[in-house]
Amino acid sequence: MTPPAPMTPPAPEQVTRALSPVREALLRAARTDAEALLADADREAAAVLEHARAEARAILGAARREGEADGSDAARDLLVRARREARARTLAARRESFEEVRRQAAVRVRALRGNDGYAALREELERRARVLLGPAAEVSEHADGGVVARVPGRRVDLSLTALADRALDRMGGQVRSLWEP
Amino acid sequence: MSTAGSIEYTAVRELRGPLAVVEGVTGVGWDEYARITLASGERRHGVVLDADRDLAVVQVLEGTAGMDPEGVRAAFTGSPLRVPVGTDWLGRVCNGRGEPLDGGPPVLASRNAEVGGAPINPVRREPPSEPVLTGVGAVDTLTTLVRGQKLPVFSVAGLPHLELAAQIAAQATTAGEAFAVVFAGMGLTHADASFVRDALEERSAAGDLVLLLNTADDPVIERILTPRIALTVAEHLAFTGGRHVLVVLNDMTTYAEALREVSAARGEIPARRAYPGYLYSDLASLYERCGRIRGRPGSVTVLPVLTMPAGDITHPVPDLTGYITEGQIVLSPETHARGVYPPLDALSSLSRLMRKGAGPGRTRDDHLDVAAQLLAALARARQVRDLADLVGRAALSPADRRYLDYEEVFLRDFTDQRSDEPRGLDASLERGWRALLTLPRSRLSMLPAALLDAHGAEDSGAPDDHEETPR
Repeated sequence: MTPPAPMTPPAPEQVTRALSPVREALLRAARTDAEALLADADREAAAVLEHARAEARAILGAARREGEADGSDAARDLLVRARREARARTLAARRESFEEVRRQAAVRVRALRGNDGYAALREELERRARVLLGPAAEVSEHADGGVVARVPGRRVDLSLTALADRALDRMGGQVRSLWEP
Repeated sequence: MSTAGSIEYTAVRELRGPLAVVEGVTGVGWDEYARITLASGERRHGVVLDADRDLAVVQVLEGTAGMDPEGVRAAFTGSPLRVPVGTDWLGRVCNGRGEPLDGGPPVLASRNAEVGGAPINPVRREPPSEPVLTGVGAVDTLTTLVRGQKLPVFSVAGLPHLELAAQIAAQATTAGEAFAVVFAGMGLTHADASFVRDALEERSAAGDLVLLLNTADDPVIERILTPRIALTVAEHLAFTGGRHVLVVLNDMTTYAEALREVSAARGEIPARRAYPGYLYSDLASLYERCGRIRGRPGSVTVLPVLTMPAGDITHPVPDLTGYITEGQIVLSPETHARGVYPPLDALSSLSRLMRKGAGPGRTRDDHLDVAAQLLAALARARQVRDLADLVGRAALSPADRRYLDYEEVFLRDFTDQRSDEPRGLDASLERGWRALLTLPRSRLSMLPAALLDAHGAEDSGAPDDHEETPR
């Protein structure tokens, strides 16, 4: 039996030479992988960035639209309030002149008491009161001029101010000429 | 000088609730308007509810609180309430009996008219035609309101019918012709009254609107006068002033309740649900005041809003209203629950006169076809939804699933609208088309081929799209 031949280790250069294709292949693969990873990362980063930009644009757009809507709502509210205010003032002024006419009419009609014709007027009013309530009516002078007549359960107010009020009520639309051309 | 109104009756036998019993009267009739003066000089108003021999029962509009029968004087005007009529009403805000709430002078006019009015003589009626565009897409497209029509809105408490009524009052137009709106709010809460004032501010400032607000705490008899005053004012703006006038009456159920209260006070025999037996003719005497008159310009269109107690469409008020009016706009709690405004129940809504006011030469050539197809597809979608509730969405055929998609687009894109957004008819019809085009062309058989081509309707070509779910 012959002893086995002792193994002689290969020379280091030989090993290096033999492994170099493997190393190169590994290196190539690693580089390709790294490049691919890098490209992926770049792409991903670009996509994330683009997405973020789009989102930012959308948020900005929405905020702008919201702001515009809020602004236009606020402007509309302001306009509505201003119009309401203007309208309220116009109407208040008209009411004031309407009431002034009534006041003036009452003053003028009360002044009739001092006129020469008042006795005849009062007589005519008394006659009318008796037509309305009958001859038994109790007729008395009203503090503002004119007469008030009474029978039990009924009353007729022919005072000068009441007559003026009724006359103004009948004028209706003519009073509008105070504020309409 | 007339005797009516000059004599004041001073014998008030008793005051009971809002009623004053005046004795010793002569020649006083039902519904006569009365002026009541208190000992302090304060003026109140009343309406004669009952007159028997020398007794008159007067309902005091402002109530009898603080009245001493000793010093009270009642003068009867000799006729039912008359109101001034004319353009002075435009831009004014008044209470339910026409007295100013806006700080202005009383409404003044050279003419006045009895608020009871008289319905238009049938032989002088001109058939309604031409639309009133409300700016509410679903209403204009599916239930077009026609000038001279009476079209009620049927709603349920809790739904946004007041918003819808206010939106229509704020937006409605008649294609550039002279137009005005009379809005009569009856039995409104103060919050609702202030909402209506805000919503209609712009139109009021433009002088196109008459606003009458009777709040829930106002006397009931005033609530009975409110729609009559509104219609009297509207008739004169329309038939003398030549305007197209839309009268919005909100809410007719509270009106009918006021009528019931007054009827009970008069001791009348109650009929269905204690409403008076004449509820039908009373409602008709209001609704029939709309229309157009031959040889006169203008029109009166009436949009009454009524809430159905507990959603009961057979309740006397919606029931009798339905007999008189020409269709209805129904609001649905289900649609409201899905967050859609206006919550229109399109399949229950109908404008009977729509064909007279919409279509070629009036609105748009494709209007009637599109409306018919929208409703037909919606009816099918409703069936499919019922089926899906039973078998599940997954078991539906692809064609049926597209109907569910259609319904979604119909509600979200076509019907849904902001309450401050006026939507033109063209925009609404385009949205209608958009909803219809979610369906394959083969399902749009009510639309002419030329129109389908023009809108680019394409058939999917998928065979599944023609199949229905097996039942």
